[in-house]
Amino acid sequence: MIMYREIYPGVYEIDILNAGDEELVKISEEMGLNLSLDEMKVIKEYFKNKGRNPRDIELQALGQAWSEHCCYKSSKYWLKKFLLGFKTDYVISTEYDAGVVEFDEEHAYVVALESHNHPSAVEPYGGAATGIGGILRDVLCMGAQPVALVDPLFFGDLSTPYEKLPPGIKHPVYLLEGVVAGIRDYGNRVGIPTVAGMVFFDESYLTNCLVNVGCVGVAKKDRIIPSKAGGEGDIFILAGGATGRDGIHGVTFASAELTDTESTRSAVQLGNPIMKEPLIHACLEIVEKGLLTGMKDLGGGGLSCAVGEMALAAGYGAEVWLDKVHLKEKDMKPWEIWISESQERMLLTVKPKHVDEVLYIFRKWDVPASVIGVVKGEKVLRVYYKDWLIYEMEIEFVTKGPEYCRATAERREKVEVDEVKEPEDYAKVFLKMISHPNVASKEWVIRQYDHEVRGNTVLKPLQGRIGFETHGDAAVVKPTDSWKGLAITADVNPWMTKIDPFWGTASSFDEMVRNLVAVNSEPHSFADCLNFGNPEKPERIWEFVESVKALGWMSKEFGLPCVSGNVSFYNETPYGGVAPTPTLMGIGIVEDVRRAVTSNFKREGSAIVLVGETKREFGGSLYSKVTGMKCNVVPKTDPKLLKRYSEAMLEAFRKFKVLSCHDPVEGGVAVALAEMAICGMGFEVSLDFIDLFSESNTRWIVEVKEAEKFVNFFKERGLKAKVIGYTGGDKLNYGKFSVELEEVEKAWRSGFSKFLR
Amino acid sequence: MIAEVYIKLKEGVSDPEGEATKKALNLLGFKNVKRVSSVKVFRIAIEGVSREEAEKEIEEMCKKLLANPVIHDYDIRWVG
Amino acid sequence: MDIRVAVLRIEGTNCEDETVRAFRALGAYAEAVHLKQFYSDMIRDDEVRSIWDYHCLVFPGGFSAGDYVRAGAIFSARVKSVLRRDLEEFIKEGYPVLGICNGFQILVELGALPGFDEDKPIADEPQMALAINDSNRFECRPTFLKHENRGKCVFTRKLKKEIVMYPVAHAEGKVVFPRGREEEYLERLIENDQIVFRYVDPEGNYSSYPWNPNGSFYNIAGICNVKGNVFGLMPHPERAFFGWQVGREEEVFDGKYVFESVIDYLRKFY
Repeated sequence: MIMYREIYPGVYEIDILNAGDEELVKISEEMGLNLSLDEMKVIKEYFKNKGRNPRDIELQALGQAWSEHCCYKSSKYWLKKFLLGFKTDYVISTEYDAGVVEFDEEHAYVVALESHNHPSAVEPYGGAATGIGGILRDVLCMGAQPVALVDPLFFGDLSTPYEKLPPGIKHPVYLLEGVVAGIRDYGNRVGIPTVAGMVFFDESYLTNCLVNVGCVGVAKKDRIIPSKAGGEGDIFILAGGATGRDGIHGVTFASAELTDTESTRSAVQLGNPIMKEPLIHACLEIVEKGLLTGMKDLGGGGLSCAVGEMALAAGYGAEVWLDKVHLKEKDMKPWEIWISESQERMLLTVKPKHVDEVLYIFRKWDVPASVIGVVKGEKVLRVYYKDWLIYEMEIEFVTKGPEYCRATAERREKVEVDEVKEPEDYAKVFLKMISHPNVASKEWVIRQYDHEVRGNTVLKPLQGRIGFETHGDAAVVKPTDSWKGLAITADVNPWMTKIDPFWGTASSFDEMVRNLVAVNSEPHSFADCLNFGNPEKPERIWEFVESVKALGWMSKEFGLPCVSGNVSFYNETPYGGVAPTPTLMGIGIVEDVRRAVTSNFKREGSAIVLVGETKREFGGSLYSKVTGMKCNVVPKTDPKLLKRYSEAMLEAFRKFKVLSCHDPVEGGVAVALAEMAICGMGFEVSLDFIDLFSESNTRWIVEVKEAEKFVNFFKERGLKAKVIGYTGGDKLNYGKFSVELEEVEKAWRSGFSKFLR
Repeated sequence: MIAEVYIKLKEGVSDPEGEATKKALNLLGFKNVKRVSSVKVFRIAIEGVSREEAEKEIEEMCKKLLANPVIHDYDIRWVG
Repeated sequence: MDIRVAVLRIEGTNCEDETVRAFRALGAYAEAVHLKQFYSDMIRDDEVRSIWDYHCLVFPGGFSAGDYVRAGAIFSARVKSVLRRDLEEFIKEGYPVLGICNGFQILVELGALPGFDEDKPIADEPQMALAINDSNRFECRPTFLKHENRGKCVFTRKLKKEIVMYPVAHAEGKVVFPRGREEEYLERLIENDQIVFRYVDPEGNYSSYPWNPNGSFYNIAGICNVKGNVFGLMPHPERAFFGWQVGREEEVFDGKYVFESVIDYLRKFY
């Protein structure tokens, strides 16, 4: 039987009406649609009712729209059930690509976080660069000026021997260097500072590195642009780079397991920051002049998704003229134009009277732009190529997509294991911890990113004495003329989520809140990027559900709204899946940036106070990792208690002179104290084994002048705080052991960079 | 006509990119690599003039934009 | 008098907002101007500008034209093609021109720095280069600068401190003079009082990486032309203008002097 028939030049009709199950599967495979048999059957039924066969462009559009990446078919049931729906009165909107939250009377801030994992595993430089491009567009399309970028990265162990790499898999050092170069070259060129992030190493990322990118922007509240068409008769303008074959099938590629990183390069787009930079300027000028009614970036699924989603969100339909799209290559087929994911493109809807003005502004910035369609009243999308109608489907059918509640299977260990005991040689174990690549200085990465462009970065990712800086807890930017600032942090603890996705996720949330509080900011909102394995496997979807449950619980009980998010499944190869990685980006409000608190010790002879309670919780800890002592008791937390502590900390910041503050994470109090000392001031404390290395949640280390009053302040509120020692000297004296500051500094500064060029 | 314009660092001007690449190659086990130099190539298609005139024009391009004479030498090769 | 400053941009320029802000904070009128506004036919009347509308031109930081070919090369080629004669006149008249980071690279590529010839302020070809950092990496870090100008440079006359802190953020900032003629260049620069800033360590000693972040010859961070009215530097004074940008309690910080000096010069001059 003949399944494909050319009906117009470059447009094929596919005979699915006469196709059996086997042929339906074959069509999905041959066309790269990545649709299941059941989904193909639904499509067959739809066209049966229409009384005709579909064209290639229509099936391709469905493949895009129904991909996991575009329609969240495996996740939306669980997200709706556990996480979404909780809002506070200052949340302005969460329904589009980026969340919008009130900043002050006049301004809103805009938050987006997403993954660019598969492209980065295949082509780290281009993949990471276009990840930055995409997240900038998500923020820009709300009408916001991007003000900060964030990049949490996850790789396999840097010490992996080359001969141990599975075939076709790239070495973590190569991936890391490529990803950092991609973020650097794109982020620096567009002139948006990269202010925060994390780099985490675990063997589960060896065959699946994760590249998450976040962006925060600022907009005037009365200039926020919805990602939907304005009204019937509005004109669609496509602006930015030309459309090419790069990035075709990017979303279907991101919605399946990655099997080979060599042969799939065609699905990775190339970036052009020097198109993006004027595109940002031009779009913001158009926004400022109030010339548009809606705007959306072209991301996954390209035009097919953007036009459909803009029209559907507004309750309209559309007509598009594909031959008006400016192309990179002449001989592209209509379906390729329709689903291309070429970078640096924005879709605008504009009232007909403003079209000329908008086109002038784009021309002024040398940004190509063309009129490509019009908004229609009937909820149908029609696509023309020259004079031929080559696509005609109801928008709701295409854009809504299927929804699944997949089977789950628990894989949590039922029996508590805790083999952790005191080390024989404290100093030796401690030096191993401080030089572990997950802890050691990330200066090699941070200095390659321009974290100060725009001149508004108040707390930088490296803080303290110039030339001897240490890591900060959260970055602070000052986005407007007022003294108010935004604190930004990115956190997750995959070692904990691997053992227990529920408590691991709750701990990551706790850590995010601690980081925001540590710089003297009030936790305000967060975004999540949920990176998991293949959701068709019951134990993977279980991990996902546990993680979402924990996030929803922490979010509601603490009172912190989730304003934007992204789910990335299929981070899995035949060699295994990634540790559950719910990356969180927390946003805090700093009332006055001049009162932001840094993490390095400031003065000799100050008291060091440990706020919070330390329990025996070594599950997923750095101590357990470096000593090989097994423990599956992941730290627990209580959102209500976290809230009480956070509020008390912020009140204490107002009441007392706090010189520095830092929260214990990997390596517990021992490592946190060392990080505070590394700029050149030692200390003497007295701590027992558990206090030193356990990674219990809801704790901070604070350097204060009036120790007694500070401690009493917490005790009066029924909270725990104790003086553990004093700053000064050139030793890190922990009581149980003591090490020279110089030796620790050396270990910390070289632990990560020694693997790199 | 197609010319390839090679922009190289002058002898004696330090080449951090080449040196870093050499170091990385050595680390990867390519012990026989003794020197790596970074060279940038522009491929220029030029029409409507004689080869002689074209060569003159490309010389001008090098002086005006493609090379900085303080650190660069250039080299023009015709490939088509 | 109303002092008017143009901060020039093309695609990829990206430090124009904070540079404009620094001038405005001191009461000057500053605006970001696209190079096309000086020459292009497609610009509407209300947006057309001439360089003679301004008293001071600034080439700000960024990655103009993506730094493709070489940092600053494309922007400078475009300036040369449309603005060369006007700009030469502008400099000869004594109007100040500032280049920060990418702007310094542009002025070097343009042949406006080191600018030894007062009668021909824009040389036919570059006389020096800002080459790739010795570390072969982009470097975003604070640097200490020793002010060594004896009064020639109009951008640092109000600077009384010996050492200032401005951050750098660049991949191509290493000052290179023609090989074999370094000492001759240096002598001329010193004799003409054209050296403005040199990288030092926190104690004020001339030091190597990371204090000299790029491996610059003679630790040079910034120079001016022979007349003192064209100044280029790799570090960013606009990022150390306010105390809060650098974690200091003072309201304003070291970066202010560059902007204050030129405004003061213009007030006296005109």
